[in-house]
Amino acid sequence: MNTQILSWLLVVPAFSALVILLVPRQWENAIRRFSIMAMLLELVLSLRLVFADYSTAAYHFVEKVVWVESFGISYKLGVDGVSLWLVILTTALSPIALYASWGSVTTRIKEYAFSFLLLELGMLGAFLALDLFLFYVFWELMLVPMYLIIGVWGGKDRVYAAVKFFVYTMVGSLLMLVAILYVVTSFEALAGHYTFDLQELSSLVLPELPQYLCFAAFALAFAIKVPMFPFHTWLPDAHVQAPTGGSVILAAVLLKLGIYGFIRFAMPLFPVASQALGPALAALGVVGIIYGAYTAWVQRDLKKLIAYSSVSHMGFILLGLFAMNRTGISGAILQMINHGVSTGALFLLVGVIYDRRHTRMLDDFGGLAKVMPWYTLFFVIITMSSIGLPGTNGFIGEFMALAGAFFSRTPIGFGSSWFVMTLLATTGVIFAAVYMLHAVLRMFWGKLENEKNAALSDITRRESLAIIPLIAMVFWIGLYPKFFLDKMNPTVDSFVTDFTVRYYEGRRTSEPRLVDFDELKQKLEAAGGLAMTAIEQEAPR
Amino acid sequence: MSSLVGVAPLLLLVVAGLSIMVVDAFTRERTELALVTAASLFVAAAVAGVLLVSDGVPASPELVTRYIAVDRLGLFFDVVICAGAGLSALLAGGYLREHGFERGEFYVLLIFTTFGAMVLARAVDLVSIFLGLETMSLGAYALVAYRRTSARSVEGAVKYFLLGSFAAAILLFGSALLYGATGHTGLADIHRSVASGEADAALTIFALVMLVVGLAFKVGAVPFHMWVPDAYEGAPTPVTTFMSVGVKAAAVAVLVRVLVGAFGDPSTMGLYTGWTPVIVLLAVVTMVYGNLAAIVQSSVKRMLAYSSIAHAGYILVGLAAAYQVGSFAVSAVLYYTAAYTVSNVLALGSLILMGSKGKEAVSYDDLAGAGRRHPMAAFPFAVGVLSLLGMPPTAGFFGKYYVFSAAVQAGGPLVWLAVLGVLASAVGAYYYLKVIVYLFMREPEEDAPIAVPMQSGYVVVALVVAGYYVVKMGVTPGRYMDWAISAASSFIS
Repeated sequence: MNTQILSWLLVVPAFSALVILLVPRQWENAIRRFSIMAMLLELVLSLRLVFADYSTAAYHFVEKVVWVESFGISYKLGVDGVSLWLVILTTALSPIALYASWGSVTTRIKEYAFSFLLLELGMLGAFLALDLFLFYVFWELMLVPMYLIIGVWGGKDRVYAAVKFFVYTMVGSLLMLVAILYVVTSFEALAGHYTFDLQELSSLVLPELPQYLCFAAFALAFAIKVPMFPFHTWLPDAHVQAPTGGSVILAAVLLKLGIYGFIRFAMPLFPVASQALGPALAALGVVGIIYGAYTAWVQRDLKKLIAYSSVSHMGFILLGLFAMNRTGISGAILQMINHGVSTGALFLLVGVIYDRRHTRMLDDFGGLAKVMPWYTLFFVIITMSSIGLPGTNGFIGEFMALAGAFFSRTPIGFGSSWFVMTLLATTGVIFAAVYMLHAVLRMFWGKLENEKNAALSDITRRESLAIIPLIAMVFWIGLYPKFFLDKMNPTVDSFVTDFTVRYYEGRRTSEPRLVDFDELKQKLEAAGGLAMTAIEQEAPR
Repeated sequence: MSSLVGVAPLLLLVVAGLSIMVVDAFTRERTELALVTAASLFVAAAVAGVLLVSDGVPASPELVTRYIAVDRLGLFFDVVICAGAGLSALLAGGYLREHGFERGEFYVLLIFTTFGAMVLARAVDLVSIFLGLETMSLGAYALVAYRRTSARSVEGAVKYFLLGSFAAAILLFGSALLYGATGHTGLADIHRSVASGEADAALTIFALVMLVVGLAFKVGAVPFHMWVPDAYEGAPTPVTTFMSVGVKAAAVAVLVRVLVGAFGDPSTMGLYTGWTPVIVLLAVVTMVYGNLAAIVQSSVKRMLAYSSIAHAGYILVGLAAAYQVGSFAVSAVLYYTAAYTVSNVLALGSLILMGSKGKEAVSYDDLAGAGRRHPMAAFPFAVGVLSLLGMPPTAGFFGKYYVFSAAVQAGGPLVWLAVLGVLASAVGAYYYLKVIVYLFMREPEEDAPIAVPMQSGYVVVALVVAGYYVVKMGVTPGRYMDWAISAASSFIS
């Protein structure tokens, strides 16, 4: 079982979804308990992944089964330092989100549990897949359950939001499909056989123009998912309309798939293009940071506020990622986890108050600290994490991402510099404090003016149960990030080295060709070691 | 006698059709005709399937093969057409009885139309192309007009008949010119004549254009699609199903045979001079128009008619690539046709299941809230439209992936055709999802008539079979792909 643990991670939700499909819909409580138990089992299984040896960049627990032979499509799974924590994030947040949902979702329990399990299956599959075709299948598979969760159990304008979410995501991903086909076809022309295996395809080096076009197609799909400014407009709609559980999963996990896609697929396959266009994407990330923060500031709807804050936070991640150095990328990955934890918790907390008052408008609240002290405490802690107070997880992630960007030497052009970008991004941290504290102030302090708020009950034990693990994570990552960083660092190091080597091979190519990178790296190593900062030599000083 | 094994599915259908005609004349109780018809069609499909996977098809007399191909390509289309027709017969068994106009001649017509379609799909001579086309079309006209008391049905049929006759005339004209240019009617002889340069080039091109126009009509490609929405909407829904799967598949088959078989010699034509640009152009307008026009429909049946136009466009994308990547692209076309058949049967079959006597489900409003009231009837519908949309892991996704990968492999401008294709199919998300929106996310208006699902074992069986293959061809496409590849490579290497 140890060797097939990744398959078990996919089988458990798939099988549970099937079981739920077959039981009568009247057994509501049984379905509720069963779905939670299945997800907890999933969490326990996934914890096994932490205890592997991550001191090298190799994939662990790799499984490969031929799926469609004539096309070279395989069912190939694996986990490494990049995907490890994202998998854990998924398995940890899914039961929490579902558990929280059972407080507010009262209709069509069976379908809800079914959709949620299917969603977990899709997300895990996308994080684990090492075959482009398999990845694409899981990537699309997530779309339908999320669409249903928003569209069936959502708020008033749920249909509009759900269709917008679906169409946006689909346009991006279909273009990615063509790019995948292009890569595979180019590989076949050289190697004589088809394959969708990422590791095999990595030996393909494309000339510049196809790299740019394919990278653009991949980047569009991932940027929409992130969402990067200006492709973010589906996010506020989806968040506002989705039920609490849907919002939590959307913010905590689904958005991460965009960044993950960049790291796992777009950047290694098209290094020249990512090197050239990366700074532009980072710049859009900075625009997103500031735009998201400003827009969040003026929101009256708490959920919309958090949605725009997500746009802002994801900007930091993009910035760190395209800094293309170890600090920045590690920071980006860590910040993905942090954002998942803190924004997931924020949406849970909004759900708590919404269930009591059926409103999310800031103006309807005020002075809640007097009637809901524990709720206030939780909310403030998560707020601190979200704005990156030292001691919380947000600080570590944002600091690393910003530091990475500050020290980045990737050439930018347009007379711009990483210093300016970092400076602008740093103002985003300040704005984050402004809009979040502004919201906290409006909600919890001041006079208890609205009579409806006077009789509100504090957060229940049941609701706390969902929040407390997340608060524990906030401090664990905030105070002892080494545990998390140690697992991902070797992978990130090797990612940066590989990227550098690939980049130079790509620059020297005018025709598609195959390069044995393992051999090449060994040669370079023997010839005097690989400078991790090789790209920096080109930077205009 | 054993040498006729290769055309056994055709002979089987003739016998079945004639017997049903006789049985129908002498019995009053015709309730199980649907079952008999479906059974004979499935048996024919199974025979063709067995021949397809067996090692070699026994040689047939020259008299047969001169007009009717006995190859794996033909057998593959036999399977697709017969299976599509068999499923349509099952749907008809539920639909016609529920709405009270079941008569024996429907099934006889269906079988003979299927026969015509199979002949067309195997035709390798201009004469047999025309004969097959007319056999198929005459039956199809009658089937569309089958509900003779309905003005819509008759209108659709008249339109279909008039335009179809034009198309047939154009095709015939093209055939005559081609004969004049090459002196042959057999496609293989024409190929030789064209390849060697004996044929008069201008005349040949003119004839080719005529042939393409005539066949594009039957495929339902824009701008020759005018009859499609009306005929599809007016026809009884099982007939719509058959037309969108069987008739279309046959037309695609003969397009492949004519274009790739007779004019597919790379030594005579290059990328910009062969028929590729024509097919690319047809594919572009068909995909774009079909998808855009489908958005504005308020009737689900009409939406599915436009969607079938759009899918003709995707098939043409694969065909356009056939010039350069040969059997790979042809196998993509084959796979797509099969995938589309099961997906469309699932979608249209669910639409049939959603209505009962006097309350046929036609518009989106009829579907409102059906997912809550009748989840078991709504679920296959959702799967069907998701497959048409091309969501993994369904047959539709793999089919789409296959044709677009053929286009990407052809390279050059065809990569951009694939890009346009995926963008057009993203438009499809809007109208296919609308079905799911109405099924699961809307409630019917106050005092609006509510469609009630019918109780019919036939329809349920058809849906289960189609649904099974929609999932099977998406999850384990390998085996079906290998069949498509072997069929395509028997025809072109």
